[in-house]
Formats: sequence, structure tokens, C-alpha cells
Amino acid sequence: MSTPFRTPYPTYNVLDKWDSPSFNDQTREVIGRRLDEVPPRRFFDAIQWATLLAVCNRVIPQPERRHDERVPIAPWLDAALHERRGTGTRYADMPTDRRSWKQGLDAIDAEARVRHGLRFAALAADVQDAVLKAIDDGDVRAGEAWAGLPPKRFFRHLVLKEIVRIYYVHPAAMSEVGYGGPASPRGYVRLGVDAIDPWEAPRGRWPGENDE
Amino acid sequence: MTRPVGAASHGAEVRPRAQGGRAPDVFSRDGTVAMREFRDSDAVDFAIVGTGCGGGVLAAKLAEAGFSVVALDAGPFWRPLADFASDEREQDKLYWLDERVSGGEDAIELGSNNSGRCIGGTTVHFQMVSLRFRPEWFKARTKLGYGFDWPVDWRTMWRYYAEVENACKISGPISYPWGPPRGRYPYRAHEVNAAGLVLARGAEALGVAWAPTPLCTVSAPHGKSPPCVYRGLCKIGCSTNAKQSVLIAFIPRALAAGAEMRDLAMVGRVETDGNGRATGVHYHRSGEWRFQRARNVVVSGYSIETPRLLLNSASPQHPDGLANSSGAVGRYLMVHSNHAVWGEFDEEIRWYKGPPSMACCEHWNYVDDHPTKDFFGGYSFMSQGPLPTDFATSMVTNSGVFGMDLRRRMANYNRMAGLKIVGETQPQAENRVTLADEADEFGIPRAHVAFSYCDNDKRLYRHSLTFMRRMLAAAGGRNIFETESTAHLMGGCRMGLSPDDSVTDADGRTWDVPNLFVCDGSLMPTASGVNPAMTIMANSARIADRIKALAAAGDL
Amino acid sequence: MAHVSNTRRTTSRFALGDVLAVAGLGLAAAVVIGARARRPSVRAKTVPAAPEAALAARRVRDGAAILGASVLLDSAMEHYRGRFHNAAMYLAPATAAISIAAALAEPRRERLETPLRIGHALALTVGFAGLGFHVYNVAKRPGGFSWNNLFYAAPLGAPGALVLSGLLGLASEAPTGLGRERHRDDEHWTERYGEEGRFLAAVAGASLLAETAEVWLLHFRGAFHNPAMYLPVSLPPAAAASLLAQAIAPRRGSRAFARLSLRATAVLGFAGTGFHIYGVQRNMGGWRNWHQNALAGPPTPAPISFTGLALAGLAALDLIDAAGKPNR
Repeated sequence: MSTPFRTPYPTYNVLDKWDSPSFNDQTREVIGRRLDEVPPRRFFDAIQWATLLAVCNRVIPQPERRHDERVPIAPWLDAALHERRGTGTRYADMPTDRRSWKQGLDAIDAEARVRHGLRFAALAADVQDAVLKAIDDGDVRAGEAWAGLPPKRFFRHLVLKEIVRIYYVHPAAMSEVGYGGPASPRGYVRLGVDAIDPWEAPRGRWPGENDE
Repeated sequence: MTRPVGAASHGAEVRPRAQGGRAPDVFSRDGTVAMREFRDSDAVDFAIVGTGCGGGVLAAKLAEAGFSVVALDAGPFWRPLADFASDEREQDKLYWLDERVSGGEDAIELGSNNSGRCIGGTTVHFQMVSLRFRPEWFKARTKLGYGFDWPVDWRTMWRYYAEVENACKISGPISYPWGPPRGRYPYRAHEVNAAGLVLARGAEALGVAWAPTPLCTVSAPHGKSPPCVYRGLCKIGCSTNAKQSVLIAFIPRALAAGAEMRDLAMVGRVETDGNGRATGVHYHRSGEWRFQRARNVVVSGYSIETPRLLLNSASPQHPDGLANSSGAVGRYLMVHSNHAVWGEFDEEIRWYKGPPSMACCEHWNYVDDHPTKDFFGGYSFMSQGPLPTDFATSMVTNSGVFGMDLRRRMANYNRMAGLKIVGETQPQAENRVTLADEADEFGIPRAHVAFSYCDNDKRLYRHSLTFMRRMLAAAGGRNIFETESTAHLMGGCRMGLSPDDSVTDADGRTWDVPNLFVCDGSLMPTASGVNPAMTIMANSARIADRIKALAAAGDL
Repeated sequence: MAHVSNTRRTTSRFALGDVLAVAGLGLAAAVVIGARARRPSVRAKTVPAAPEAALAARRVRDGAAILGASVLLDSAMEHYRGRFHNAAMYLAPATAAISIAAALAEPRRERLETPLRIGHALALTVGFAGLGFHVYNVAKRPGGFSWNNLFYAAPLGAPGALVLSGLLGLASEAPTGLGRERHRDDEHWTERYGEEGRFLAAVAGASLLAETAEVWLLHFRGAFHNPAMYLPVSLPPAAAASLLAQAIAPRRGSRAFARLSLRATAVLGFAGTGFHIYGVQRNMGGWRNWHQNALAGPPTPAPISFTGLALAGLAALDLIDAAGKPNR
């Protein structure tokens, strides 16, 4: 469906700064845990979990990474819901986050079965994408499954939002977009256009520009 | 709240730190400072609920004036140097993550978007934009024909702006292009980063003024605060103390002057006696409900929690909620429309460096007669520097993009720049806070928030999108796209000139309960086209002086 | 739309440590080369009998050398911060090194005189060129000659220090030249001491004022957050005023104050260095975060330039003093 993803910053790894003044102790503790202590499934049931893994895989596909290098997303979603972490907002037209997630994943699965006779997790990637796109358009056919849950709001404000909120705090994601990452006590000196400190990602390789 | 959100220093979220006569020293990694303590049975002069722009400023000034003060906050007492990590998810611990119900036609996002929960309040995570109102806005109805008049003269507010700007050592430009002259900002403006220079060159191309944004983070050392290191993580809490949040600029003052801070103390109810006077507050701390006696109660919980507390404090004398004889409690809630345009550039902007909004443009706050201006009110806009998840969430919730397209668009992160408005919304009675049918973990009914834009609000943000699109293109931006969101909260317990349509008088004193005050952003009758923090702080400083004057006159 | 920068240079090819190491080596080399050329000492018997002139010249040159050292380190650091994005940015520290060597060397031997003079003239020229570059840099930024750009774009005052270093070097020629060419039977040499002393006093006084202007700008940027920051904008101008007074009307009575204020200014250069070192320490992360704070904190090599200018001023007073002494 789409061309493979290439980061503009192939040589940059934010974790190379682990022992530098860009990281302080508490940041090392927090990111260390994120890397080492991936939580087990406690909130979703097995079927919801399979659907969730498939959804995460379509929202943030990571084909260029080996399986053990892929950024885990579903475990953190599960943990947040298990721990009742909360986001501060429950839209009036939605059930609580915990109920929305369970119902929503069931509904995505139901949508796949109504449309294609298969579980969502069993669909081909491009078919999964099409199902998710339809949900985002509010074009749902598994009517009952969506009762009381607006598909588009569920998909954008819970599914997409919470997935990117987990993916883009991972060092691998920071590195791929060239974000400076942790910065305390050391911040930045050079603030100007195209001005880069030595502890930042070197200038990116952008399509259409000559690599020198 | 007994479940920690953070992984680092989570003890602060579980056990109160301010107790035993000591409070955290915010300038240290693990030190404490002496703190005066009061017994629950002591009828203190002031029990203040909330410690942000309203309560924090008030607590400092009242304690310095010799009053006995206990300030309670539902959130933890942080030491930024040791507790704040450079991590967006970890720092969710700064926000009010407890569920609130959000409805209306344009339901707003709460939590990280506008609600803090810690000593120092929302200023601990605010983006430090420190603007003043346009003078006419204090008489918006009379002079500009919309909204309401404030019961305060702009010249008075001007003096208090100067006071709080000095307390926070605002770093601002030598000459500010809009509005009447203001004294020189206490500290010099910061170097404008690349993202700000995009706004600057766009503004110069379009022939409108721009300015380095006055910011509440120091550009040179101040006291125990080092100058800003431009780490850019301001929105998730400043771990260097360069940001002059209320936690840094006012709480130490309050403690030194003898105020007590009670962290992790959730106030559930303001108690009133048979005469309808407030007698103290019920609060939950360390696993039990307690009652702090007080001669005066000040509610400083911001636009959601202040109305919620008043509504939850109904009594036989106040059946519709405390101070609500006008029915105005919870009403006229306002936000800022936060519409934005984003574009790609050939250069690497790297907007993650420096405070997020280093350049600003208030042009449309000061233009009244222009052929394209088809709305009341105004808007400012600033350059942007969203952190990765912030930018990603804004893209996915606005466009629904996902998959490789999303990763590819995010990979442009370092070549993006954006402009985002702080757009005035009109005060509308039906935009309001009420009580939901369900209760939180303390058994206190939750807040239900309803918000809808009116036609004027929509014309305003549409105008801004057209204008900013032109400006970003003029600055060299390509593939420009728009997003929408909201920011800030204002109103909900507005002050006014009449008990018929407002909750408090100009002193923040509720019309119905003479020893009950409101002091925070919920007092604001109109929203304005600028970030509210400085206005709330200035108003709080003013109310503190008014309370001193009332006390001196024996009128408290 | 034109871009703010067309530079496509990636991140710096070397780190601040490398730059400082090279600058340090350059400084050391300049000192060694200059000192070698300086031998034998002026105190040796072979020196022509005009000790006041020669000593004054040496003092001026020492001042120029100190100024040069300040420029070398400061420009190396600041231009590193600016990524040396223009090759001309290497010229500033390189020229400063030449200026130091030239200043330290004693133009006793005829064959050295011209190269040394060229060295000083080079510093003067490069300094002026740098000034032009910096003006251009400020002008082209959004905001133009705004306070923000004066604070944070290429500093207009910095190349001025290189100009001053060259100027002092050239000015030092005068007394030395006099010393060398002096004829014992020239009855007017003491008067010429006086003239040259007054000329030097004018140069040093004006330089002090220029330097003060830059310090004022930067300390204003720092909001004079520490009262001590007022010292370098009050003491040096007082010294400058007393120097200029001597240049206009060399009165012995007020010379003691001039000498005192110049000595204080010289000491201030060291004290300021100490303050700036402390300033770096108190920034977030302190010296542990030196990659950032050495650049973003107060510039440690800057204050010592006051010592250099004060030495030149003192030399001017020496000459004026000498003019008043009876012929030997």
C-alpha cells in the first residue's frame, strides 16, 4: 500500500546520550523501566488482546524492525487501563475509557466479521487498514456492537491518540524523527535555523537533497 | 488520589510531603524548609483551596500580611530538580487525570490540556506565555460591544500586572508593539528560536508586527533559579527551576511568611453554619476525612473545580450550591480556541528547542476596523514547539491519519513549524460546569462540562486560519494543514457588579456568603485573546490587597 | 521565500573541547613565539637608554597581548557556537593569535619591525571586517537592529576588541620607536614622551569606553541580576574619563586618581573572570554541563580584556609622568 518508511536520521540514537548530561537520574529510571519492564496483559481478554495487537500493528507498522526490536504498545495500553490511570476527559457521548476500550475492540472485531467473515487479527494488512478507515469515517456495519460508542471518536480520541502517546515516547521513535529527547540538565545552545548542537541528531537526509 | 501516575518519586503522590513542620524545598533535590502548622481545630484566618495562579499568589500575600493561612491542594508537592523527568508520559503526573465528563457540541479536552493537579497548580506545566489584556477588554461590553465589563479598572490591573511580572521575573522585549506603554520587563527577552523566526519572517512579509514572547522563565539567574537552558520540555514541567511557576515564585514566599501548605488534601465541601457563613472545609488527606476550621474560606480551584466545590457544598441555606443565588456558579465557562496551521520547511527548524512559543503576534487583538474582521473579540498567535506525542496526537485526532503515512508525516517533525491562536470565545450561560450523576473515588460528584462554540467564535477562528495560512506560506511553509483544539479555562464563577448575574463582587467575595471568596481564573468575566495566567495572577494579587484593605477597615 | 540560512553543514565536525584545545595551543604558541622574539629583556644593559619609553611600550604590548588572548578564546568559543558556518570565522581566533605574538615580541631588530607592524595592522583590519560581518548578520535577521538581535545575533562589540588589540599594538610603536631613535642631545624628547603618552591615553580611554559599551549591552541582557554586574560599567568609564582628561590636559594632581582607577580596572578584569567562572558554575548542571554552560553562561575569557586596556592606560600615564622628569 505504501512505500517503506525510512528515517531521515539513520545514524542517530537518542540512547547514545544515556550517560551524558542530557539524561538525569530520574529520566534514566523512567526510560529504563520503559525499556526493561514491559508489563504483562492484565486488563483485556485474549481475543481483545489479539485485536489490539493487530490494531497497534496497523496504526504503527514496524516492518523494518526485528520482532524483538519492535516498540511494544499494547502492553502499556493494557497497563494504563488496568491501573485506572485516566486521562482527565471522558466525552459525554462515550462510556468510561475502560468500557470504551473493551467495547471498541470487540466492535472492531465484529466489524471485521460482518465485512469479511474473519476476526480482525486474521485479516490481511490492507484489509485491516480498510476496516479501520471505514470506522474512522463512521461507516460501520456491526451496528449493535457500536451501541453507545461513536466509532470515529473512539478511533481517533482513544485508539489513535493513546497509541501515538505511547509510541512516540519510546527512544526508538524519538530517534527516528530526530527529536532531541531527554534534555536535563543539559538543554541546547544553538537555537537558530539549521543550527545543531553536537549532541543532537546530525542533519537529516531528506528526499530531493544531495547527500554530501 | 493514592495511585501514583509517575514511576519516579511516586512517593510524593502517595504520602503528603508537607507535614511535621517541614515542607519540601523546591530548590533542592531532597531538602526541606520549615513550615508553620495549624491544627484542624484552629480557626485560621484563611483556608485556601488550591495553590495555583489564584491560591498560591493569594497565600503568599496574605501570609506576608500577617494572616494565618492554610492552603490545601489535591495534588503532590514536587521538587522539580529530583522529580521531573524528561519524559512526556511520566510527566502526566502533573495533570488532573481524574475523570470529568465533557459534553456540548464542541466538547473540550481536559486533563493535560488545561488542568493541573499539584502545589503550584497549572503553572507547573504552563507554557509561560505572559501577556497582558488589552485595556479595552476590561470594558468589553461598553467599549467594544460584546461580552461583559469587568468590575475592575484597567489601570488598576496594569499595576498588578507589573507586580506579578516582577515577582516572576518575566523575560520580555524592551518595547512591546501593542497596547499602552508598559514598564520594562524585569528580565530581557530570550533569544528567539528557529520556530519563532518563522513567525517573524512571516509577519515581516505580511507587514504586521511581531515580538519575542514575554515568557515566565528567566533569561538570567534569579535567586536560586538558573537561567533557562532551552530544553524545550516546559509543558511537562521545568526540571531546572528556570520557569517561575507559582511553585517556584510564590510557594516559598508563602511558606517563609508562615502559611501552611497541605499537599494531597482533596477538599470535598465548604461547610456553612446556620447563619449561612462559611466555617471551614472538609478535606480528605492520608486516608481520612478531616475538617479545617477557618474564619474565611477562599476557593481557588480553577474553572472546573471551583464551581464543582461550590455546587457540592449546598446546604439548607444554599440549596442550589454555595454562593449560587444568581445561578451563575458554573456558568459562562470559556476556553480559548486553539486552532493552528502547520507547514513543512526546507530548513531544519527543530522546534523542540527552547520554550514552545518564543515569538508572538497580537495584531488581531488590537485591530477593530478592518474589512476582513467579521467577529467580536480578538486572538493572538504564537510560534509552536510541540513535543513528539503532542504533535502526533494533534495530527491523528484532527486527520485520522495512521500507518506508514503517520510515521512518514511524523518524520518531518524537525522540518515543521506552526502558528497557533489563543482565540477569544464569548461568555455563554450554557457553557457551564454542573454535577454529573456519578461520584469520584472520594464519593464527591464529578464535574460535567458543557461547551459549544457560538457563531462569533467560529468566525474568529476561521479568520485566524486564513490569516495564519497566508503568513506561514509567506514564511516558506509548504503542505500546510490545519488542526483545532482548545486551551485554557476561564470563567465559571464570574465576578461582577451585581449579585443578580455574578458570583462575586470585584474583591472576589461571594455575594451570598460574606466570608467566602473565589480567587482564580473562574472569576474572569471574559476570556480575552491572550493566555490567562498573568491576568489571573494579577487579579489574585489585587484581591489580596483588597482583602487586606477590608480587614483593615474591619469589614472582613 | 528566501531561507534564513543556506548553510547545509551538518553538525559541527568537532566538539567544544577540540576547539578549546586548539585555541589553547594557539594561545600558548603565540605566547612562546612572541616571548622568544622578545629576548633579550629590556632590563638588559644593551637596551638603549630610554627605559621609561621601553617599559611603557612593553606595558602597552602586554595589554594588547592580554586583549588578544581574550579575543582568541572568546572568538573561538563564540564562533564554535556559530558552527564556523562561514570560513572567515576562523580568521578571528587566528588573527588574535598573530596579534598576541606580535604584541609580545619586541620590535628591536629591524627585520622584525615590519612583520610585527603587519601583524597589528592585520588585527585591526580583520577586526573591522568582522565588525562588517557582524553588522550584516544582525541586519539580515528578522527584526534587524532590534534589541533581541543585538543581544543574541553576532555581537557587534566583539570584533571591536580585535580592532583595539591591533590599535594598541600599533600605538605601542610610538614610544618604542622614540626610545630607539632617541638622540641623547635631543632636548625635546621628554616633551615627545608627553605627546605620545597623551595619544596613548586617548586610545586607551576610548577603548575602555567602547569595551564598557559592550559589557553594558551584555550585562543589560543579563538584567544586571547581580549588583556586581554594575562594577564593569561604572569603574572602567571612570578610569576612561580620567585617562581622557589626562590626554586633554595632563595634570599631575588628578593623575593619582587615574592611576588608582586603572589599577582597579586591571584587578576588575581578574575579579570579573572569577565572577564569570562562578556564573558558569551556577547555571543548570554547572561545569559538569560545560559543553552548554561554557557557551551559554557568562563568557569566561571576556573580562580579562579590561586588564589589558588598563595596562595600556597605565603605560600612558607612565609616559606622561616621564615627560615631567628631568633629563638624565
